[in-house]
Amino acid sequence: MTLWRDIKGTLQPFWITLGYLFQKPVTIQYPEVKRTPPPRYRARIVLTRDPDGGERCVACHLCSGACPVDCISMQAAEDADGRRYAAWFRINFSRCIFCGLCAEACPTLAIQMTPDYEICNRDILNLVYEKEDLLIDGCGKDTQYNFYEHAGIGVANERGRNQDEYGPVDPKSLLP
Amino acid sequence: MPTLVIDNREVTVPEGMNVLDAAKAIDIVVPHFCYHEALGAIGSCRLCAMQFLEGPVQGVKMACMVPAQDGMVVSTSAAEAVELREHVIEWLMTNHPHDCPVCDEGGECLLQDMTIAGGHYLRRYRGKKATYTNQYLGPFIEQEMNRCITCYRCSRTYRDYCGGRDFGVFGSRNRVFFGRYKDGQLESPFSGNLVDICPTGVFTDKPFRFKSRIWDLQEAPSICPQCSLGCSTIPGGRFRELQRIRSGINQTTNGFFICDRGRFGYGHVNHPERPRDPRVDGLPVTMEEAITAARNRVDALAAKYGGASIAFLGSPRASLEGNLLLQAWAGRVGSSQSVFDAHQGRDHAARSLAANLASLARSLSDVRQSDLIILIGADPLAEGPSLALAIRQAVRQGSEVIVIDPRPVALPCAHQHIPLPPQLLHMVLKALESGQYDELNDAQTQPAVKTLRSKIAQAKLPVLIGGADMLGGLGVKLLCDAAKRFISAECNIGVMVMLSGPNSFGGAFLNIGGPDFDALIDAFQEGRVRGLVCLESDPFREAQFPAKAQAALGHLELLISIDCTPTLAAKRADIFMPSRATAEMAGSFINNEGRLQAFHQAIEPGMPLSALGPGKHPPRLFQSTTPGATPQPAWQILGQLLDRPADLNQLRRTLAAENPKLKALTHVDTTAARICAEPNGIAAALTHEMFSADSSAGNVPLLITSAFVGSHWLSHLSSPLKALREEPTVWLHPSLAATLGLKHGERAILSTTLGRCHVRVQTSNDMAQELALTYQLLDSALEGMSPGTIINCRLTGEEGQ
Repeated sequence: MTLWRDIKGTLQPFWITLGYLFQKPVTIQYPEVKRTPPPRYRARIVLTRDPDGGERCVACHLCSGACPVDCISMQAAEDADGRRYAAWFRINFSRCIFCGLCAEACPTLAIQMTPDYEICNRDILNLVYEKEDLLIDGCGKDTQYNFYEHAGIGVANERGRNQDEYGPVDPKSLLP
Repeated sequence: MPTLVIDNREVTVPEGMNVLDAAKAIDIVVPHFCYHEALGAIGSCRLCAMQFLEGPVQGVKMACMVPAQDGMVVSTSAAEAVELREHVIEWLMTNHPHDCPVCDEGGECLLQDMTIAGGHYLRRYRGKKATYTNQYLGPFIEQEMNRCITCYRCSRTYRDYCGGRDFGVFGSRNRVFFGRYKDGQLESPFSGNLVDICPTGVFTDKPFRFKSRIWDLQEAPSICPQCSLGCSTIPGGRFRELQRIRSGINQTTNGFFICDRGRFGYGHVNHPERPRDPRVDGLPVTMEEAITAARNRVDALAAKYGGASIAFLGSPRASLEGNLLLQAWAGRVGSSQSVFDAHQGRDHAARSLAANLASLARSLSDVRQSDLIILIGADPLAEGPSLALAIRQAVRQGSEVIVIDPRPVALPCAHQHIPLPPQLLHMVLKALESGQYDELNDAQTQPAVKTLRSKIAQAKLPVLIGGADMLGGLGVKLLCDAAKRFISAECNIGVMVMLSGPNSFGGAFLNIGGPDFDALIDAFQEGRVRGLVCLESDPFREAQFPAKAQAALGHLELLISIDCTPTLAAKRADIFMPSRATAEMAGSFINNEGRLQAFHQAIEPGMPLSALGPGKHPPRLFQSTTPGATPQPAWQILGQLLDRPADLNQLRRTLAAENPKLKALTHVDTTAARICAEPNGIAAALTHEMFSADSSAGNVPLLITSAFVGSHWLSHLSSPLKALREEPTVWLHPSLAATLGLKHGERAILSTTLGRCHVRVQTSNDMAQELALTYQLLDSALEGMSPGTIINCRLTGEEGQ
């Protein structure tokens, strides 16, 4: 029986190969021809804006904390209206492994993965993206969410004026 | 010693311990907020529920409120208790805002941890949340009241533990608010503890606001370099910048809390003017070249004029290893001229203490348990703020506090104040020792001292506390002698003296019988000493009589400085070598009770990233060197110079072998035994001279002491503390103010031999009469006034001019 198995094992692959010879090839002639990757493809990272056009990133450090290769660094700062934002935000794409953990960790939906995989470069310093390079003019995958509308610390609206809040209490009130 | 069973495990705990702590003792942690070891239990958060199955108490109870008793069988995982905890944490979270990403507490938030530990993962509440209006609480604390879960830890810390009065609880039911009556700076010098104690992000560190997350901070256990008490701290830095300091936990010293000077006094590490590059004759060189130059020039000078022509000035803020090696260098050159504090009075006080303390030494923990505390010539808030906190804890347990001091000493607790002029303090101490009251001819002082004697004799654990500035070497000796007279089987008396720096005791210990700085000044003037090596010290500013010292220092041929701050000595030195700050190195200090404590390196030195230009982001450069990273620990610089081991542990072993009394150096930790010197080794005569020689400027004696902020070099360099800096002030007794024609709050002109300056007049009945008082303020017209001195002055109202 061993002989029969060997013959089958030799001929069957040839037969399959022969079959593919008469089919349309799957190889794509990149870069002349480009495929459209699926929308959830994990490639170049962007920073998105909220529906009002403000930066979504609040520099909470969760993405850099989640990053297994430590390719994200940033510095938080405070705006005049109390908004926390990233004074600078840097992703070193020469180190990034495109695992998507940063996007998963982001509590404000600011950091998102895009299907743009063409970021090769001859100068490694060009792969170190600053905030200006990462920010896009749009909401990305979620067009509704605005973190500061829900945060409850009076940045988007006055304190206590968000939809899910009562107005500020008066601690000196004696009412029951 | 009750024995109980928790989760089927038997545990025996000390009498009086609660069940929550008993569980912790066998590593069973149940979520809780309001209970804190230092603050006690109040059972307000309702989170530490456990099921008591058998024993004297039964049912679901709050574990923090139940003392452990024999026969108890407790379950932390019983369904009923777990369900209750789940509900309670869900209720606590209903109003909590959705702002963890922008909250500075994130990552070190007890609420985050306990919510998950309590089993609450998903918010079910869909209703509206309560909100609050925040208050401005000064430059240190940021308030975000929406995050509050009303555990009352803050008010218990601020009011009960720290004795602050301007912060508390307002409102009722779900309107409870923690804050001040109106916006304003928190008055307590311990306000920073709110940051550590708040389990969530209601009170966060304002200077540290939005700077880093805890997981990015480089932290290590360290010792506070701001005063001599040796509080445990945890400095944290990122991007080569020391960004914050939080309190470490050491039950024998500070316990859980530190003062604001220790917490926010880290600016000297990141100071923009900090010298970071070695220099020889004003030209930049490498560290190796500077070390070689230093060695060669000292050797050349020694060859020309003899070893004794070089003096070595150590420092109370340099590590013990650094000071030891400085002394070793002196030994190698053949010079016996090493001094470890440029301030004569403070140096003598430290030496006198090191020689006389022995078994009288008391730790802050002993002070907390004391039943009678007598402060003679001591102002804790200026000289060692954490001591004031310890004294308050003693008072809360019924201790009595008596202060004998010319200054209007402010303590965060009830105390009796006897304002005596400085020259009477020594007589009081003598009278305490001998029981002879003849020298005290004051009608009020005599009976006061008599009662004091009887009170000490009746107390069980009395502590006598002194300060180096007021008492000097002689006073400290008298204080120890007085204490020794009361030692008996019933009276376990102790002594604590606040010294000038974190390693004052260590320096004094090394130089118990050596020369003092006054002797060096004479030697500079006479040309017997021609070279001076300063280790993290600044004789131009720190000497007791700076004008005299500066004149003498001009005669020097060679000035070498090793320092981490922009001191005058560092600026004027012929050879300068940059050293590292405490947070940037490992080493050890001996605190004011003779306790040898090690500190570890938290961050690497270097120019902070934030200081590298105003660009939108850090420089886009690849380079293998760090800018400004040349500073090395002082002991390493000296070690290279003397061909000693570069490894700290090896160095400690060699140093311990050379100096048998420092055996403890081979295994330094926070529980190391106290170190004491030989009691009869002091060569320098213990006089205490506070009066400046030249006093022709007026007829009002002006006592100069230090302030909480502004008189101490390291904290003076810290920008966050600038807000606490007082304006130049003169304190007077109302009777003296009336004689001079001055009123409280008025502005006046203070003229001394050191110059004229504008001051604000403050009057207090707690001031000694016939005496004016002012604080040294660095970088102001009051800079030349050195604490622990009395000069004559003239005070005139501004209108009179």
